[in-house]
Amino acid sequence: MTATATKEMAWCPGCGNFAIRTALETALTELALAPERVVLTSGIGQGAKMPQYLNVNYFNGLHGRSVPLAVGIKLARPELEVIAVSGDGCMYGEGGNHFIHTLRKNLNITILVTNNQVYALTKGQSSPTTELGTKNALDPQGNPNRGLRPLSLAIAIGAPFVARGFAGEPDHLKDIIKEAIRFQGTAVVDILQPCVSFNRINTYSWYAERVFRLEVPLADRFEAMKVAELWGEKIPIGVIYRDDGVPPREGVAIFRNSVTAEAVAALLESHRAQ
Amino acid sequence: MECGVKFGGAAGQGLLTLEIALMDVLSRLRYHFFATKNYMSRIRGGHNFHMIRIADHPVHALSGDLWEIVVAVDEEAEKRHRQSLAEGGLYLSAADMAEMTRLSGDAFGDRQSVNTIVMGVILSAIGCSPQRATEAAGAAHRAEVLERGFEIAAQRSFTGRFPVTPHAGACHRFDGNQALAFGAILGGCQFMASYPMTPATSIMNYFSRAALQMPLHFEQAEDEIGAVNMALGASYAGLRSMVASSGGGFSLMAEGLSLAGMTETPIVIIVAQRPGPSTGLPTRTEQGDLNFLIHAGQGEFPRVVYAPGSIQEAMLLARKAFEVADACQVPVLILTDQYFADSVQVTEEVLPTALSRRLYESRDSAYRRYAPAPGGISSLTYPGLGKALVKVDSDEHDEEGLITEDLELRTRMVAKRMNKFEHIKPLSEMPVFSGDPDAQTVLLSWGSNRLIVAEAVQRLLAQGKKIGGLHFGQVYPLFAPMVAPFSLQGKRIFCIENNATGQFAGLLKRELGIDTDRRILKFNGECFTVAEICEMVLTNREG
Repeated sequence: MTATATKEMAWCPGCGNFAIRTALETALTELALAPERVVLTSGIGQGAKMPQYLNVNYFNGLHGRSVPLAVGIKLARPELEVIAVSGDGCMYGEGGNHFIHTLRKNLNITILVTNNQVYALTKGQSSPTTELGTKNALDPQGNPNRGLRPLSLAIAIGAPFVARGFAGEPDHLKDIIKEAIRFQGTAVVDILQPCVSFNRINTYSWYAERVFRLEVPLADRFEAMKVAELWGEKIPIGVIYRDDGVPPREGVAIFRNSVTAEAVAALLESHRAQ
Repeated sequence: MECGVKFGGAAGQGLLTLEIALMDVLSRLRYHFFATKNYMSRIRGGHNFHMIRIADHPVHALSGDLWEIVVAVDEEAEKRHRQSLAEGGLYLSAADMAEMTRLSGDAFGDRQSVNTIVMGVILSAIGCSPQRATEAAGAAHRAEVLERGFEIAAQRSFTGRFPVTPHAGACHRFDGNQALAFGAILGGCQFMASYPMTPATSIMNYFSRAALQMPLHFEQAEDEIGAVNMALGASYAGLRSMVASSGGGFSLMAEGLSLAGMTETPIVIIVAQRPGPSTGLPTRTEQGDLNFLIHAGQGEFPRVVYAPGSIQEAMLLARKAFEVADACQVPVLILTDQYFADSVQVTEEVLPTALSRRLYESRDSAYRRYAPAPGGISSLTYPGLGKALVKVDSDEHDEEGLITEDLELRTRMVAKRMNKFEHIKPLSEMPVFSGDPDAQTVLLSWGSNRLIVAEAVQRLLAQGKKIGGLHFGQVYPLFAPMVAPFSLQGKRIFCIENNATGQFAGLLKRELGIDTDRRILKFNGECFTVAEICEMVLTNREG
């Protein structure tokens, strides 16, 4: 896979998305996935521009709707490697309902969330993962809502693979993405992504002081939930929860397998008035 | 010869079971019939009624005449329907029904078999012999119970009172939604995602059941936004795809419709209308969403809207919808309504069986999804078919599919998309005329009113009126050549619609400059009847 570095990228200098893009590109290369077998879906936002800068198939759709696009593609073409990538606003806010119910489907897809805890493209409003009290464009007195905990949410819904990466540790992130893609079932990777323009709190150094690597994923959901809830002083990164005992829901092998004239004749016959 | 049967009662009293059982037996006995229902949005209680028009010739509408047989299961049904009984008609009152229910419990140990007794009474009244009836009823109904119905009919001198000769030849039985789902399968549709909503749900039922026998997939989505995006994903990935909903659910799909327009992703969207605004009357009928379908979605992009009005037309247009969606890379919408969805018709029309399917052409790595092509419509391929990468974007994009803010390119891309109207034009579905070609009065219909108006035209012709009917199966876009053969200039045009404003009449004026002399409108949640249209035409009553 060749980097499309020649294209002008629409991200701010220093944006966490650069490292995430490189990690994803390297992961795809190291997994030796042919670009034409990979489909990225994304929504709207700065993170959602990711597919523009990778040399694969993509469907850059509507705000919040990257996941149902991925579901449709995977159901139609189970043989394709389908990855939905978008930001926290797209995945957890506008697309929250899709996030919840798609995890219940457990299709063999990967969901990457570039989580910068702020709406950046619209210039600095609170996102679902913004902490309580954080002052933002539309919350001059501080965000009145509690921040969403995406990892424990995903575990609670029953996602069999839940991980967190950090844009400041791109090699580690790349390994997580590779593991997520290889995983048989829906894999969720929440990625801590410093926003250099609109998030003055959760900076590279703020994260660097707090993250620690969880080397072995937890297999017990309730134990995993406790680790997933850690935030503040200590923030775990790595695969938090992994359950290989849940068979994924397969797509359906119907592509280029057309309905036959005989089957249609039989269906019509069932309507014969006799 | 005809016999109209109406039975009413509360939801959960077995009326639907009776309707289905009666339709099965009537089909086997080769009667023509048309059945529709009027029901409330609840599971138990309230008041529902079912109407079956049994005839010796094809019938595809409610006549609007008094009923030969009325069955009232409870007091509410008596109050509402007793007065609609024709003179000399057969009336089974709530007391009769209670007596027959007791009888079926005592004599046969099964109170539910009262339905079989009622069926026996009805079959006796239309002149069917007990032997043929029991044969046709088969194992589903005990012969002695059915015969008891014949005995009751004899006791009350109902036997053969409204004789109907069974004349149906090679017929099929479909309701409107089944016909649309069947047509979609003919159209090569292999993927459907939807969220249940009356009156569209039975399209989903049909497709998901067909998927047990065929290479199809139905996915129940978390909401209509998810549904339309799943279908777009599946279409992008290579399968002809559709969604179905009613107006409320379609509202949630509006942005997805616009996405289909921008990304040039083929999709078919079926909207089964019910009366709005908002939740409206969830189980009743209306044609109030025409303007909405034509205008839904941000920005400007071509689309096609069909509104079939017969079983055959529903199949043909559903199949064509997928072909046009692929050929022009546009969203195609199909408008139907509760009345058509829930009406069961025995049809002698020749039904289509030819299958259509998507073309799969692989492309090499030089492929650009939105590259100019001869004729103006870019070549479409799918991920993983060849070395081509398929890049599509909801933002304005360049020929490769990358986001652009090059405003000259923007202008070219808009022109490229809007030019599709030129491709849609020759594929237009011509309106269908019925009645006297020289008539100076023409009744216009679209969608489910087609066969009601056609019968009204026949009835008026029989009364010596010079009249014609013109049905539009394609309601958008409208092109002048579609109406040219019918020389509407200078004629009295009556537009018949199930809505409060005459949306199609307004559209005709705007698109083709055609003035409507009168709008005959009905918007109480019920369909038109033949008698009602005749009366409105003759008396200048507008609704």
